[in-house]
Amino acid sequence: MKRLTQDELLQFLKSWETCYDLRVPILLPDGGRAICRLADGPLAMHGGSVPAKPTSLFFPQDGLVFAAGANGYLERVDTEKRLFIIGLTPTDLQCLRFIDRFFSTGERDDLYFASRDKAIIAVVSGYCGRDGEFIPPSSGSCDLELYHDGIDWLLMPYSDEGRELAASFNAGDEVVSLESVHGKAVHPPSAEQEVVLAAAAILQETELPDAFWDEIGEHCIQCSGCNLTCPTCTCFGVQDWCYGEHTERRRVWDSCQLAGFMREAGGHNPLATAGQRSRRRIHHKLVADMSRWGEIGCFVCGRCDLACPTGIGIIAVSREIVTRFGMPDDNSKRD
Amino acid sequence: MPRADSCQSRSLYIPRDATILSVTELTSREKLFRLRLSDGSELKHLPGQFIQLSILGYGEAPISVASPPTRQGYFELGIRRVGSLTTAMHALKRGDKVGIRGPYGTPFDLGSMGGKDLLLISGGCGLAPMRSLIQYAADRKSEFGRVTILYGARSPDQLLFREDLDKWETISGFACSYTVDSREGDGCYSGSTGLITDLIRPIELSPAETEAVIVGPPAMYTPVIAALKEKGLSSQQISLSLERQMRCGVGKCGHCSIEHLYCCQDGPVFRLNVIEHLHGAL
Repeated sequence: MKRLTQDELLQFLKSWETCYDLRVPILLPDGGRAICRLADGPLAMHGGSVPAKPTSLFFPQDGLVFAAGANGYLERVDTEKRLFIIGLTPTDLQCLRFIDRFFSTGERDDLYFASRDKAIIAVVSGYCGRDGEFIPPSSGSCDLELYHDGIDWLLMPYSDEGRELAASFNAGDEVVSLESVHGKAVHPPSAEQEVVLAAAAILQETELPDAFWDEIGEHCIQCSGCNLTCPTCTCFGVQDWCYGEHTERRRVWDSCQLAGFMREAGGHNPLATAGQRSRRRIHHKLVADMSRWGEIGCFVCGRCDLACPTGIGIIAVSREIVTRFGMPDDNSKRD
Repeated sequence: MPRADSCQSRSLYIPRDATILSVTELTSREKLFRLRLSDGSELKHLPGQFIQLSILGYGEAPISVASPPTRQGYFELGIRRVGSLTTAMHALKRGDKVGIRGPYGTPFDLGSMGGKDLLLISGGCGLAPMRSLIQYAADRKSEFGRVTILYGARSPDQLLFREDLDKWETISGFACSYTVDSREGDGCYSGSTGLITDLIRPIELSPAETEAVIVGPPAMYTPVIAALKEKGLSSQQISLSLERQMRCGVGKCGHCSIEHLYCCQDGPVFRLNVIEHLHGAL
């Protein structure tokens, strides 16, 4: 493991720019942050998770499925450099693991894995969250980790490839291990994580009245911001674009909060009301994913709560569920 | 950190070419297309499965296969004209090419049906996927008991596969009845009028020896299930094929989820006991 100053970190990143398609957190002109190329703006490692869907690097908002010309289908030619992504948080990494399993189960989604299989991932943790907030380190299921100890960056490799990358950079002081700096502290769940887990437990046991979901649905303005920022939302639609004899089939993110999401050709719509769609959004993460994958599909990154203009992100709805339907020993009231 | 070898093989989203062998008009809005995969291979489907029909410029749509795998050299799709892709399909002629992905989804449980009496109930264009099972049973009659086919449509001019319905009635061990909600549009129609459930009530069946299958519009399921349960059938003896907006066919696009199940992967054919307790399934 190496200790790098901020300048040395920048040197380290720049040293890989020619070999890899390097993506790092940058500061946008409007003051926001996004994972982009180094040339797109000043490096902005501090600030925690970026607001946009971090898994979009492998599952883009608008991606080519295939192209076809007059002589048939044109196979995708992979000429791009490998992605080297810096700036996911350990929570983002959990989300990435979740959708890795989703896209690899059953029919393996070759579009997703075309870039994912070859990507190098470096997460950030330590005292680099929003307003210097502490981000607990990852469990190590990535290539590299950049841990900010309040002064410098500790570069910790986990995979063989991560070790090669770290070893080839001839700067920075060697330090022993992340544990030597950070210790073996166990980080308790945050209040937000606890409330989402409590809501999940209630929903897994109890079918809430439709009136509750209708009430949540009344707040929804179908902006779809929740789905568009959620790292574990993977729904998409398919569109064909024609340019003369050249046709491109593209897949585009879709949102279960839109009225037409499940409308069938015959007119039947299993999600016809805003209440049904709100129920679907929360139930899918907290109940259906638990049934299918053995864990809930929300890792409490907080993006949907930040994005929602009307205050019905999953943490807010979970609070409402726990307050109104929690058991008395949860210090909350049951309606 | 997946590290699978880079794969340049054909994408699972690229369709195979299929050639239209013939087009038959079933009603003013439904046509039956007979197709063959352009590479000469068989589709290798089972009754109840569907394919993703692809027309460049129009996208894809899930369509149930209307013919059985026992009839080799072709497969058939019964397609209602309801949107841009199906309108484009209706404009195609013999010799034209389309794209096909699949077959996808769970088939009817032919293993459990073996030796049993089959009660096959369909409504509207639900007869298209059911036809695959009916023709399969007709081709392998010795594997099944008595086959009872019940079919309902809104009006005489919307009855699908009229010739098949009459033919099935004549097969030994088969019985076939159909009804329409209203005689409107065909003064010459002399068949039954009424709901599909009216055809179920007079049937005499041996509940322990019967497997029932329902394929139809969503509104049909609840009353038909109630009528079958009145006849003594349990949820385990009733299979259904559910319609959902399946965009990918491989469990990725999310449009066909029913709680934790994906209709395209875990269905479209489900045993009733698997889905009857799921919110919004029926």
